[in-house]
Amino acid sequence: MRVILESKVRSKPNLPIEAEAIIPRNFLKGTDHVVFEGNKERTLSELFWIFVEGTAVSPENIEVILKGDTSRIKRVGEYMDTGSIVIEGDIGMHCGNFMSGGTIEIRGNADAWLGREMRGGTILCRGNAGHYCATGYRGEKKGMQGGKVEVSGNTGDFCAEYLAGGTVHIHGSTGDFPGAEMRGGELIIEGDATRPCGNMKNGSCVILGTVHDMLPTFEKIERRVLPEWKITADVYKGDVANRGKGNLCVRSTGLY
Amino acid sequence: MTELWVKNACVIDPIRGINGDIMDIAIRDGRIVESVSDRAEVIDAERCLTLPGGIDSHTHVSGTKVNFGRYMSPEDMRAGRTKRKGKMHVTSGYYVPTTFGNSYRYSAMGYTTLLEGAMAPLEARHTHEEFTATPHQDMMANTLFDGNWAVMDAVREKDIRKTAAVVAWTLKAARGYGIKLTNPGGTEAWGWGEDLTGIHDTVPHFAVTPAEIITTMIRANELLKLPHSVHLHCNNLGKPGNYQTTLETFELVPDLNDARQTLYATHVQFHAYGGGTWKNICSKAEEITRLVNSKPQIVMDMGQIMFGRTMTMTADGPMEFNLHCLHNNKWSNHDVELETGSGIIPVTYSKKSTVNCIMWAIGLELALLTKNPWQCLLETDNPNGAPFVKYPEVIGLLMSKRYRDEECAALHAGTEQKTSLYALEREMDWHDIAVMTRAGQAKALGIVSQGKGHLGVGAEADIAIYPIRTDSVDPAREYRKVVEGFQKTRYTIKRGRVVSRDGEIIVDGANATFWVDAKVPEDIRMENDPEFIKRFEQFYTVRMSNYPVQDVYLPRGRCIETEAFT
Repeated sequence: MRVILESKVRSKPNLPIEAEAIIPRNFLKGTDHVVFEGNKERTLSELFWIFVEGTAVSPENIEVILKGDTSRIKRVGEYMDTGSIVIEGDIGMHCGNFMSGGTIEIRGNADAWLGREMRGGTILCRGNAGHYCATGYRGEKKGMQGGKVEVSGNTGDFCAEYLAGGTVHIHGSTGDFPGAEMRGGELIIEGDATRPCGNMKNGSCVILGTVHDMLPTFEKIERRVLPEWKITADVYKGDVANRGKGNLCVRSTGLY
Repeated sequence: MTELWVKNACVIDPIRGINGDIMDIAIRDGRIVESVSDRAEVIDAERCLTLPGGIDSHTHVSGTKVNFGRYMSPEDMRAGRTKRKGKMHVTSGYYVPTTFGNSYRYSAMGYTTLLEGAMAPLEARHTHEEFTATPHQDMMANTLFDGNWAVMDAVREKDIRKTAAVVAWTLKAARGYGIKLTNPGGTEAWGWGEDLTGIHDTVPHFAVTPAEIITTMIRANELLKLPHSVHLHCNNLGKPGNYQTTLETFELVPDLNDARQTLYATHVQFHAYGGGTWKNICSKAEEITRLVNSKPQIVMDMGQIMFGRTMTMTADGPMEFNLHCLHNNKWSNHDVELETGSGIIPVTYSKKSTVNCIMWAIGLELALLTKNPWQCLLETDNPNGAPFVKYPEVIGLLMSKRYRDEECAALHAGTEQKTSLYALEREMDWHDIAVMTRAGQAKALGIVSQGKGHLGVGAEADIAIYPIRTDSVDPAREYRKVVEGFQKTRYTIKRGRVVSRDGEIIVDGANATFWVDAKVPEDIRMENDPEFIKRFEQFYTVRMSNYPVQDVYLPRGRCIETEAFT
């Protein structure tokens, strides 16, 4: 079954919509769901043109497609456990919060907090992602715990902060402090990064571009070839300032 | 004139010696009176348990330290969210909730008076501002003197009168209620990068020992005739083997006051550890309670911990640093100029940890082994041992051996040999609980004369009616009913108004803040002491004239005046 939600033109297009109801499982029982626009309760049909194609008996066969201006829609795919969501444009903050299964594909850019506290499933972002991509909530000790987040473009600051499990693959560059407070999992950054993996406890991080402002609290172990990436990289252990046992592989370091 | 008539109440009022009598209570204009006219509003208590409003004699709900706990744990604000509803503000948080969250939850549990356990005088304004946003409880603030330079100078000179004068001036300036000593001397030493290991170590740069500070302050407190005694958080909190320090401290305490205790020792659970390392830590509650049973001049509170996540916050900076080294989690440390310091870290008490299991057992042992319930009060050092919403569970544990056995069965296997809890048969009755949660507190804080903690004619009409029928509930077997009953009152009445009904707040509160103005003779007042003024202007970042809290911060302040030195 395919559910197509095409956003209607709104008189105040900047007003955020809180749409945690948009997950595939909910459309098994129809399209009559409630979301908030600002502080006003709205039904989905007030904000979207809804087209349903085919039928489904189980939620894993449901595909939700969001079209039009979706850049101010928050919390799409929150607690999603199966099925798939395709977003043809940009998406607002907190997309895929607590997601445990299924796939989300974002063909445009994603705003901040993409895949926050994710437990499983896959998020593919074809554009750029904002700050705090694949992290935890502020103050919480565990961030993303499983699944995969792949971003084709760049991300903002604090990418994969408190990462505790799963894979985060950034094809572009990241901002400041990627992988800060990492507890586990795998972070791959194909572009450049600044001050990666501060206070890392465990897990592994590979940076194929250039690292600016490498933190002094990482202990260099060796320089070796990484066959899966076909590069030679410096392998560091850390963050030794706080008894960390993480792995950080860096192809080259430079200053600003 | 507003009148209220509570009929068919099953009253337990330990201060007046009433234990389970069915009575009517007449209330006029916020006070309990002999009788009211027939136009009075009537509440039928239906023979439910009716107690004086609950009093928490040591809790951390307001002030800079608590607020910094909120800063440090944004994740806590995801818990306990309630929407705005009627008169209720939005609330959020579990172990460091918003001020209104604290107030509403205490009110739902029948608490009407709170003592903020530690207020640094320099930061008193913040505390008083939060008091006004904790509307359903009358508030008091214990004022920190553990590292006060002027106090330590006076102690070194062995001048009790001068010590008392400094205390009186500071209490008035901070609008404080009583003397709080938190790890006396130790926090100041920590400010200089050093630590004290016992009460006979010398505080660097001040040439005084914690023992001298404690004994001098006790005498100064009695000289000032303060309503409350010295409120002491002993040295060496949370260190294995610290019970020796606690016993040494208790031995120092003379019996100076007929009406109340001479020393209030707070959260003694954290001070009753035997052994020498975290591996061989054990309970020394028996030693502590043996001494307390023989010394009526000491009142302590449990400092019970309950399993789960919480935040520890105290003026004991060095202790929090040691804990931080153990947990390797977030940590805050703060120095308050010439006065004290503080530290904050989050903790999770777990049944998988032997140390935590022993701590849990010690709190209960202290309460059960203290013969006189007036000497061991119920609290968790909120939020250090557990958030105050766990009080009903503590009550259930004290009243039911079966509940304790069920909880003990889930504990770490090593706990049984290290404590005596498993062998204790005592089950407390309703009267004991009433003493440990309101009457004992009122007496210890010296507010019985203010009309708190009892339901006699003239008392403040602070009443909690719980949905418990004492004649039909057997607390030893039906402890779940007890826990549920104490979680939510049927009615909480504050100064003659019903503020909470079945856990729902129905009015805007209007609390009072009690503070003490101890009048000392003209010749030794600190505002006339050139040496004090000189040091103040030299070392503080604020001018002495800007230091005292203005009355505008206490919209409903109630001053208790004492005639000191007479």
